[in-house]
Amino acid sequence: MKGFEIRGYVILALAALFLLPLTAPAATPGVDKNEIRIAQWGPQTGPAAPWGSVARGSDILFQLVNEEGGIHGRKIRYFVRDDQYNPAMTVSVVKELVERRGVFAFVGGVSGAGGMAVKDYLAQNKVIWVSPATALNEYVFPVNPYLFGMYPLYDDEASVLTKYIVETLKAKKIGFFYQNDQYGKDGLTGTKKRLASYNNMSLVEEIPVEPGEKDLSSQMLRFKNSGAEVVIMWVNPTTATIALKTSATIGFSPQWVSSNTLSDYALMNAITGGLWEGVITGAFALPPDSDNPLMVRYREAAKRLSPEERWGTFYLAGIAFAEPLVEALKMVGPNLTTEACLDALNSITDFQGIGPKITWRADQHQGTDSIQIQKCGPGGTAILLQDWTSNDLATWK
Amino acid sequence: MDMKRDYYEDIEIFSSNTVLAWSMAFMIFLFAFPFLVGNYYIYLANVILVHVILAVGLNILVGYTGQISLGHAGFFAIGAYGTALLMTHLPMPFLLAVIIAGLIAAFFGFIIGLPALRLEGPYLAIATLGFGLTIMHIIGTWDVFGGRMGIHAPALEMGIPELGMSLVLNTDMKIYYLILVIAILMVIGGKNLMKTRIGRAFVAIRDDDIAAEVMGVNLTIFKTLSFAVSAFYAGVAGGLFAFVVKFFDPFTFNLILSIVFLVMVVVGGLGSILGAVMGAALITYLQYDLLKNMGELPYLGDLLVSFSRKWFTVIGMDNIGGFLLGLIMVLIVIFEPLGMFGIWIRIKKYWKTWPF
Repeated sequence: MKGFEIRGYVILALAALFLLPLTAPAATPGVDKNEIRIAQWGPQTGPAAPWGSVARGSDILFQLVNEEGGIHGRKIRYFVRDDQYNPAMTVSVVKELVERRGVFAFVGGVSGAGGMAVKDYLAQNKVIWVSPATALNEYVFPVNPYLFGMYPLYDDEASVLTKYIVETLKAKKIGFFYQNDQYGKDGLTGTKKRLASYNNMSLVEEIPVEPGEKDLSSQMLRFKNSGAEVVIMWVNPTTATIALKTSATIGFSPQWVSSNTLSDYALMNAITGGLWEGVITGAFALPPDSDNPLMVRYREAAKRLSPEERWGTFYLAGIAFAEPLVEALKMVGPNLTTEACLDALNSITDFQGIGPKITWRADQHQGTDSIQIQKCGPGGTAILLQDWTSNDLATWK
Repeated sequence: MDMKRDYYEDIEIFSSNTVLAWSMAFMIFLFAFPFLVGNYYIYLANVILVHVILAVGLNILVGYTGQISLGHAGFFAIGAYGTALLMTHLPMPFLLAVIIAGLIAAFFGFIIGLPALRLEGPYLAIATLGFGLTIMHIIGTWDVFGGRMGIHAPALEMGIPELGMSLVLNTDMKIYYLILVIAILMVIGGKNLMKTRIGRAFVAIRDDDIAAEVMGVNLTIFKTLSFAVSAFYAGVAGGLFAFVVKFFDPFTFNLILSIVFLVMVVVGGLGSILGAVMGAALITYLQYDLLKNMGELPYLGDLLVSFSRKWFTVIGMDNIGGFLLGLIMVLIVIFEPLGMFGIWIRIKKYWKTWPF
């Protein structure tokens, strides 16, 4: 019966392994004497895995805070969960974190669908959610008392970029190439509103594209024939790459302008085979090699704490998304409750870390309409063209 | 494993009173489950039950009929979008909507079944894979479906409010009971179907389609029927899934999901209803819960994280998760080709003769 005994032990050990995660959470959700529990979901595996670096970036800031002794004596305990960009899994990891671990607040969170799936659940359970890593009007309009957005809205960004194109680049003929969904259409709206303010200027060509399209030669020819000097593209990385390569083969080289979603120059330059050089984009954080003292500090910390990570745009966006929450937690003081933290977040005015200036009020949870304008230099480096600029045409403020 | 003495014994759903008693006990456990655990586990159980329905349907196609499908996420999507849109645009109670959506999925299954008459093995895999991707892109392109932004599932209305009969299932627990009842019906339905002439025709096609045709099984009818039945299961599962997550976009139903579905069936045990149920439960639990939380296990968690950071990529724990999931699949295929069902049979045998 030796075999049976061993089998019995194995079963016992397995049972113990299954039961361990069941340990009960603390009484006050997410906060106790020694720690504040903060979490983020993001695709670490699966087809959207490259965006997972956002969730890992936030960790650098929390580790830095903990090294300095935490916030009013409490260390931050940070959970990252892989949702594989699948909303069913986002709901699952969020419910698990809230109900079993007890989480005080969420930061970031890449997937739009995943965010929409958990938005109401988080509000019902009074869990704070700061800086979703997607710009969606549904997040911030109407105001959700527990959700604070700082990602610039796409129409604001397009409007600021268009102003730069018309006033600084002095372009007369502008084309617009957009993904046929809310993301692309928001960009188009922003550009059109801005152009209308210049004696009803209009686009010489506007062409929608489906994200799976692989042959863009007819679209690029239309842009070429329209004589566009500048083409704004509000598309995904694959489409942008195909567009640039196609244009190069037909001898069409306008000034390309794009949104911050394509501002990871090192990556874009690599996948376009160097064609990304010279492209202008919006940006929601300082350039990765900026000598801003905060940036230097974070860069050094990342090198020390997580040397194998690439210091790219999305990684440092994770830091930028977490900064306002840390600021609010510091403002609250030692008596930390969800209500006190909400008050602190609602009183954040002109706070600036490595992202744009953020202001939240009880009746306004979209924190900013500012972007920087950057240009891809040689070897995927970032050149700052224009510092933080807000959209004077924004209608929501 | 059991001796069957006559035909009627073969078609019994419960092979003995012991099995019946244990099934009843398990049923009582399932109905009591929400009162024993927290809300999170009810949600997890909902996802598992949805996957159980789908896996049972997929097993009818893959395990019993011997046809492969890498496009089941497509049928799943048709069910989810069909149910949600029917209920949003027409005042229609849930059960009617989910059945219609299931039938739409079944119709698409029938269409996909037609090329399956001429395609086998990898070629059929490619055709079905193409179908799954096409559905994802069509849904993403058409504004009626909410485009790539995704849609909200409407309130889960069981009655018809216009006639003064309204019953909205709005908590995970209420939805759990709905899914549980449907899952039980569909699992028993699947088990029953396999004991009919249709089920035996499926098995005959799997074992040798030419021999089956010689014996009088009409390949055209039964192959397409198998696809249609399997797609109906996927459609109903999708319709329930829509209300479990409440928000979904086309990308939710990507290729990876189709592959995970196939994994459930293979790990559970091809050609066994019980296997499909066990496979769906195990893979979903591993994927959604255990592998996600290993990092917080005392001692072991930190060890695994540092191991992963040193030897794999920067993403840490999730490397180990993917690795373990793959390892389980490989080990089962090599050592236990019958899947968890095979392990189950051996455990049963062991206890039957215990302590000898």
